[in-house]
Amino acid sequence: MIKTVFFTVITLVFFYIIWINNIFAPHERYEMPAQYAKIADDVKSYAKEGKQLFEQNCQSCHSVRYDAVYIASVQANPKLKTLQEKYGKVLPRNVYESVFHEDLMSLKESFGKVPPDLSTIYIVKGKEYLYNFILDPQKVLPGTSMPAVMTGRPEETAKIIAYLKSVAEPSPEEKGKRVLMGVGTIAYLIVMGVLLWIYRGRILKRMGLH
Amino acid sequence: METSRRDLMGLAIGGLGAVGVLGVLYPIVKTLAPSAASLAGATVEVDVNSISEGQVRVVSWKGKPVFVVRLPQGFQWNGKTKEDRNRKLLQGQDAYAMVAVCTHLGCVPLWKPQGEAEYNYPVFHCPCHGGFYSPWGDNIAGPPPRPLYIPPQKREGNKLVIGEPGFIKELT
Amino acid sequence: MLSRIGRWIDERAHLSDLWRSQMVDYKVPKNLTFPYVFGVFALVAFAIQIISGIFLTMYYQPNVHTAFDSANYTIMKEVPFMWLIRHVHAAGANFFLAVVYLHIFTGIYYNAYKKPRELTWIVGWVIYFVLLVTALTGYLLPWGQLSYWGMVVTAEIPTAIDSAPIIGKLKIGETVSIWMKGGYEIGQITLGRFFGLHIWLLPLILLVLVGIHLYLVRAAGISNPEGREIDKKKEGVPFHPYMTLKEGAYVMGYLAVFFFFVFFYMHHFLPPDNYDPADPFKTPAHIAPEWYLLAYYTIFRSIPDKFLGFVAFNLTLVFLLILPFLDFSPIKSARNRPLFFIMFIILVISSMALTILGTMPPTPTNAMLGLIFTAGLFAFFLSLPIISIIEWGWYKAKGGDKQ
Repeated sequence: MIKTVFFTVITLVFFYIIWINNIFAPHERYEMPAQYAKIADDVKSYAKEGKQLFEQNCQSCHSVRYDAVYIASVQANPKLKTLQEKYGKVLPRNVYESVFHEDLMSLKESFGKVPPDLSTIYIVKGKEYLYNFILDPQKVLPGTSMPAVMTGRPEETAKIIAYLKSVAEPSPEEKGKRVLMGVGTIAYLIVMGVLLWIYRGRILKRMGLH
Repeated sequence: METSRRDLMGLAIGGLGAVGVLGVLYPIVKTLAPSAASLAGATVEVDVNSISEGQVRVVSWKGKPVFVVRLPQGFQWNGKTKEDRNRKLLQGQDAYAMVAVCTHLGCVPLWKPQGEAEYNYPVFHCPCHGGFYSPWGDNIAGPPPRPLYIPPQKREGNKLVIGEPGFIKELT
Repeated sequence: MLSRIGRWIDERAHLSDLWRSQMVDYKVPKNLTFPYVFGVFALVAFAIQIISGIFLTMYYQPNVHTAFDSANYTIMKEVPFMWLIRHVHAAGANFFLAVVYLHIFTGIYYNAYKKPRELTWIVGWVIYFVLLVTALTGYLLPWGQLSYWGMVVTAEIPTAIDSAPIIGKLKIGETVSIWMKGGYEIGQITLGRFFGLHIWLLPLILLVLVGIHLYLVRAAGISNPEGREIDKKKEGVPFHPYMTLKEGAYVMGYLAVFFFFVFFYMHHFLPPDNYDPADPFKTPAHIAPEWYLLAYYTIFRSIPDKFLGFVAFNLTLVFLLILPFLDFSPIKSARNRPLFFIMFIILVISSMALTILGTMPPTPTNAMLGLIFTAGLFAFFLSLPIISIIEWGWYKAKGGDKQ
């Protein structure tokens, strides 16, 4: 009994640490004022405005390819439409990078590297990091070539983050559907497990094997 | 008493098991369904003014090539056709779309506004086996058995929206 | 109607005879404990990986320019429900390895590697090794930052051979490393070959090995927690329905836990840093192998000398393989072997500690702890011959075979 408990507990603790919450290897946490965190989370209310703010403040250097948003000089280029007719809204990366090579290279000359595409950045960094980085890039990544374009505009930054969240993550309705699917699946499996157990008990009793 | 309870359980488990199998199959089968992006490709908009009068542009709709024809003002055409289904359907339209697939064996016909061979007025000519169509896609001569297909389409000001029912309600 | 079709098939294929002989007339002891189900869980996990993998292959593109987008746009956003299949495959890989580890430790505890089951153990070791390679090749495919840099680190490990005295001059390590990558860098050739290995060759090899493994389990008979072979006629219970329904219910529980992660907690299985497309010019801040390789990684980097570190972690694998021959005691099962039981606990604690240490930064303290637990791990294997000799003595004193 003790052995069973011991081995079960250390196994569960081990997987808890490795898979859920590694208390031994904490990663940096960033802070964000609660009011702006709420804006950044509220995709339904602010993603649309956030996209406009993105186009005004960020699109000169950054693309969001998964939303068919390309850097401003490319977006204005009539070649883009022809390419999209052939390849779809979201251009394959190598097509985009070769056709618009000059646009991207001129950005590289100004900044030292091509500013990254931001389609999945919300998942990679999270809203707190993005909030801090966009408002003061040098504080988070000293020496970075990202200019401080949103100084003193925390609310608009939060809205841009809401837009980035809407591109990277599924919509709130879709998320709701997935929660339902999950609950249904797990409930089904638990019920099946219990039924099988009871059923087996009955058969074994009848066979005199229990 | 005991036997019937066990059978009921057995039935319940079997039934739920079948439900489980369907539950696994459902998302797998659904992955075969068209994605949102390709469903969006189900309509194509063309700005009629961007086509010169008397010219034809080829666009892609649902994976097929489609002619967008813009007729000049006061266009007259007196050629003879074997059928005139299309002309009747497209009457009064100065711009319209037709599926650019020859109804004989599937090649893409060519627009010949200066005429071709013995026809000295605008025709579509299919180079594969010599089919001829009127500007409205009605078959004139050669192997094509019927006029070109016309997709559902509607006109919104300067835009021709192919794929949505309008002056043509459904694919002919 | 259904039963008529069933009878028609049965008259020709004799499936009901097969079922009866393999599942009902086949007897197993009543005292099999819960951990005996881990092998079944592994089979279920394998099946889930194959099925989810088949559908992922339809949309994934093994090209360095389009791989990331095929996984994170086409699969995750475009094709309906493919996000679910990707979640299943990513979580499934981790669950597969977790369950295999639990299965291995169960086998060690009950001494299921001893005669007549040594071959089963050896085949199992090969499965374990091929499975690790399968996991490694699969992880490169999404072509994220962790995928790319994780493989850069992994492909560097063979070069540790080159820091050995004398044989280091042969540059074998560098050759192996270039061989793995298909060149000096990780690129299209690497991705293409890893893709082919991961979807075709390695799964086929695994299927064959698992088939042989299952045959050997049946051929030698299932081990017993008490360490003694049962008299099937007197003590056994029919496999169906005694075991099948029990394990069926357990599998439902396993799947419930599995799908909890699939739907609600993918954070570890689809790590955020891997949503950053691979960039050969930017190394991520935290880069380490996946958890299932971390123990070996910790052993490797805890030992100051690179070559010795390389030897050490490979030695662990070798010890695991030759376990049936290191432990030649006539007594079976930790239940009957207090010395072995103590060393087993040291083995488990050391393995877990080494894994957790692998997630932590390489400070001097952590390196010291790494050495301590490496010693613990080795102590287990090296103690086995000693314990065997002691236990042979006890065995003979109690009358040996006449027990």
